[in-house]
Amino acid sequence: MNAIAKLEFKKKIQDKGLWFWTFILPIVFIVGFISIFGGNTGADSEQLVVQIVPGYTVMFSFYIMISIVIAFIKDRDSGMTARIASTPLPTLQYFMGKWIPFILIVLIQIAVLFGFGVAVYDMPLGNTFALIMISVALAFVSTGCGMAMAVIAKTENMGIALTQVIALGGAMLGGLWMPVEFMPDIMQNIAQFLPHYWALQGYQTVILDGGNVLDVWASLLVLIAYGAVCIGIALSAYPRYLKLSKS
Amino acid sequence: MINIREVSKSYGPIKALQHADLHIEKGSCFGLVGPNGAGKSTLMKILVGILEEFGGTVEIGGKPVHQYRRDIKRQIGYVPQDICLEETLTARDNLLLFGQLYGLSGKDLNERISEVLTLIGLEKREKSIVSTFSGGMKRRLNIGCALLHAPEIIILDEPTVGVDPQSRRAIFELIHELKAEGKTIVYSSHYMEEVEQLCDSIGFIDQGMVVEHGTMKEVFEKHRHSSIFIEGEQITEEVLAPYGELTVRENGYVITSIDPLATLQKVALALHSQAVQPTRLELSQTKLEGIFFELTGTQLRDKG
Repeated sequence: MNAIAKLEFKKKIQDKGLWFWTFILPIVFIVGFISIFGGNTGADSEQLVVQIVPGYTVMFSFYIMISIVIAFIKDRDSGMTARIASTPLPTLQYFMGKWIPFILIVLIQIAVLFGFGVAVYDMPLGNTFALIMISVALAFVSTGCGMAMAVIAKTENMGIALTQVIALGGAMLGGLWMPVEFMPDIMQNIAQFLPHYWALQGYQTVILDGGNVLDVWASLLVLIAYGAVCIGIALSAYPRYLKLSKS
Repeated sequence: MINIREVSKSYGPIKALQHADLHIEKGSCFGLVGPNGAGKSTLMKILVGILEEFGGTVEIGGKPVHQYRRDIKRQIGYVPQDICLEETLTARDNLLLFGQLYGLSGKDLNERISEVLTLIGLEKREKSIVSTFSGGMKRRLNIGCALLHAPEIIILDEPTVGVDPQSRRAIFELIHELKAEGKTIVYSSHYMEEVEQLCDSIGFIDQGMVVEHGTMKEVFEKHRHSSIFIEGEQITEEVLAPYGELTVRENGYVITSIDPLATLQKVALALHSQAVQPTRLELSQTKLEGIFFELTGTQLRDKG
């Protein structure tokens, strides 16, 4: 499992596309939107930063799904999955070895984007442990969703299209682009069914309200539950993926 | 060493293998030949444990693969038809990955990587990125990845496809070395001259069925038909008809006979007495390709 995880991590570090989606584009969005809204709306600057930095961090954490889908479909179509199946490595360890590096990448992404928020906009962080717990739960759900998509999608294009729907649709409906209070009632209700909303609520509770782990238990629970469902789907569809890759 | 009994495998309505029976001796080099889609790759994937669901039994070293899958995988080195390498990594990194997947680590793994790099002739390119390699170099590295754990059985699925003559020669030398070390080799190829040169036993597979198998000597003895080829302006069917079964080939005739040497003598005398001068008169032996066509036919297999 370690060999697969190390390999995947090494490959991802060399992937310029991943750097763009994971770090460069989110920073461009954060800077752009804080400049636009900070100058024109006269909004409270701390509230604005705490809306935009965690909001875009949550949204772009879901873009890891693209890399996961590409990695799995490439391995399937190149015969690498079948080749690895001829080694003594148990199939579940292959699954874990592919998954863990993406969790790490999302955690690094969150650290970099929050670090940028602190360094450039003096964003407060609040309770570190609670922040880490939400970040881990967010990484679990975004990569879990990616793993499910990767084993279900038949083509890269299909996977990328569904990722856009989940990332952008979730961002819009989950209150990542604007506070949910500004949205119509029906959308506020829909938002509560989305992991994006709960991740942002968790971050804002810690950063703005000085909350600790106990204060964000609902967010953690929802995120972990979503992640568990996604991984359940991924694991149940995994034998079909292996079958396709071997025939 | 490898016993395949009544093995069947279907993909939906397609029967990829039908009651295949084969025995492969320890230390032998076994050639597996057949047209495209005959079932060779399916059989190889069953042997290496990629395909786990199939009918019949496969025993390797006396152990059924269903029960001892992980143990058996450690004994096998599989070289797939596709080049399965990480193109963005170096040759050494690729070997490192496969070594670790087979449970090697530390000093042992590093030593083994150096040995294999020398064996496949890539010791000077170990730090080069694989995407910069030629097709032949990639093929050799693909083989190297299967040799790191020093397997007893090496299964090669068309390992010389798309390589230049130099790389093909290097791959042959490598296989000869492995044979000399007493490894059991299963070698699939469409190139009959390769199989004839490398293998000591052979199995022909067509439409999922094993249509012939045995040692190379046995198969040749069973299917070898000597014939006489004769060509010349004055040569006609009437002249040759009394001497055996006659078929037209190129610009001449082929006479198939039970005793070709005696027939050759009679034909030569007859032509001489009639003052007919052939431009070519030769005794020819059936080659493996001829046996292949005899057993599997000449019809294209990709026609519906």
